[in-house]
Amino acid sequence: MITYRGVRKSFDRPVLRGVSLTVETGEMFALFGPSGTGKSVLLKTTIGLVVPDLGDVEIDGVSVYHGGKGALDAVRKKAGYVFQYAALFDSLNVFDNVAMGLPEAEMAKLSKGDVARRVWDVLENVNLEPHEVLSKIPSELSGGMKKRVGIARAIVGRPEILLWDEPTTGLDPINTAAIERLIHRLSAELEVTSLLVTHDVEGGLQMCDRVGMLEGGTLRFVGTPAEFRNCADPVVRAFVDRQAAEAALDTVETR
Amino acid sequence: MTVDRQHAAAPSPTSPIVRWFAGWGRAYRITLEHAGALGLLTWQILVSVVRLRVRFRDVMTQLYVMGIQSLPIVLVTASLAGIVTSQQGGYQIVSTSPRYLLGTLVVQSVVLELGPLLTAIVLVGRIGARITAELGTMVVSEQIDAFKSLGRDPVAVLAAPRVIAGVIALPLLVGIADMVGIYVGMVAANLDGGLGREEFLYGARLFWHSWDLFYGFSKAVVFGFVIPLISVHMGLRTAGGAEGVGLTTTNAVMFMILTLLILDATFPPLMLQ
Repeated sequence: MITYRGVRKSFDRPVLRGVSLTVETGEMFALFGPSGTGKSVLLKTTIGLVVPDLGDVEIDGVSVYHGGKGALDAVRKKAGYVFQYAALFDSLNVFDNVAMGLPEAEMAKLSKGDVARRVWDVLENVNLEPHEVLSKIPSELSGGMKKRVGIARAIVGRPEILLWDEPTTGLDPINTAAIERLIHRLSAELEVTSLLVTHDVEGGLQMCDRVGMLEGGTLRFVGTPAEFRNCADPVVRAFVDRQAAEAALDTVETR
Repeated sequence: MTVDRQHAAAPSPTSPIVRWFAGWGRAYRITLEHAGALGLLTWQILVSVVRLRVRFRDVMTQLYVMGIQSLPIVLVTASLAGIVTSQQGGYQIVSTSPRYLLGTLVVQSVVLELGPLLTAIVLVGRIGARITAELGTMVVSEQIDAFKSLGRDPVAVLAAPRVIAGVIALPLLVGIADMVGIYVGMVAANLDGGLGREEFLYGARLFWHSWDLFYGFSKAVVFGFVIPLISVHMGLRTAGGAEGVGLTTTNAVMFMILTLLILDATFPPLMLQ
């Protein structure tokens, strides 16, 4: 279970103004919101990539920020993070990139063959052909393949929590749909708690158990997809309509 | 309402003196911020070294990049330094002093100053800028965040190997630069002014102190520590995409050269009194 308690963060201006939210164990939760409202910042506070000015984050009841470095290390072992643009290591090939996802302590216990098997299996799990991509470096991969390698790296360590930061950004509708199916399948198969930050409202509503909307640094809405669709809040409605129009435009441009 | 808007848009009535003090205050704050961050980074590197979290393979890779790959440009620079010192020294000495003093001049200039400083400045351009740009790109493309999210320590994997390699590589390069600079200076003195090898070496030995060599290598160790330390520090502070990487790299090069020159000026009062 992930619990955010009054998380506040400012950079040049306030970005998060006291966000409190609970994502239940095994739940798949999507977080929507216009650009610049702090969705990714909130996601990064989960594993200490951004430290809140005020407030706390708890993972299964353990404080990330008041539990010392040990707590942060333990949280990072529990969580897999999928970055917006994959954030693969440029100088490493796909095999080494994915193998980096194995915790150091686990890596030390595994034989080279075991590591290779784990990497191979996880690449197959994200619908990549391991023999084709293993020795490639990130610049030789397409956008969709990079995302899949990023997902493989996040899940190879068998996390309990998956944090998805705009996993479909920059992809065409066909690849977007494929990645969304993959997210849905992996979250169910791996029985993980998933927190998905996305612009793709329709995709999020179809995949997730609950959704939320951040607006102006605060949570404007939390509820089920059905409640979100029927929400009468004019701010939520305006956001949904705008996203639907943009999605339609994207589809037309792709055709 | 109109009046309020006019007031809001009016320029600040701050006097030039206040602005001058504000500017100094800002510079002071930024300097302290950098000094604090550099101190913290040094401490983190020390901790990762003491806890044996730095991989030998990473240090060797950096040693290859800093040492072996820098060798050609260091040799060219040292040779030119030897030639120029010999020619300009010969021009000064020929009518006023014994010719063998040219040996003294070349050896002392190369060992005390030109060897360490020129080699360090070459490494600022070749290694320092590269490290800053590399780490800066990793920051803006979230690779450093990815490192942290995977439970890896960027200081142990990225910073410490580079700093250790710098401390080892620069003295070795300076040693080679000294030898090449002196040898080429000796050849140039012979070709340019007809100064024989024996005469040159007599002059070199006449004012030679072993301390001078220690002094030169001490500079090299300090410079070898400072160049990767500043470049890593600046790289990890990068923000703002490709433009940010360019800006940070430029600032890092200026910062490194300025620091080298300031440190260079502090060595004589500390070690040559």
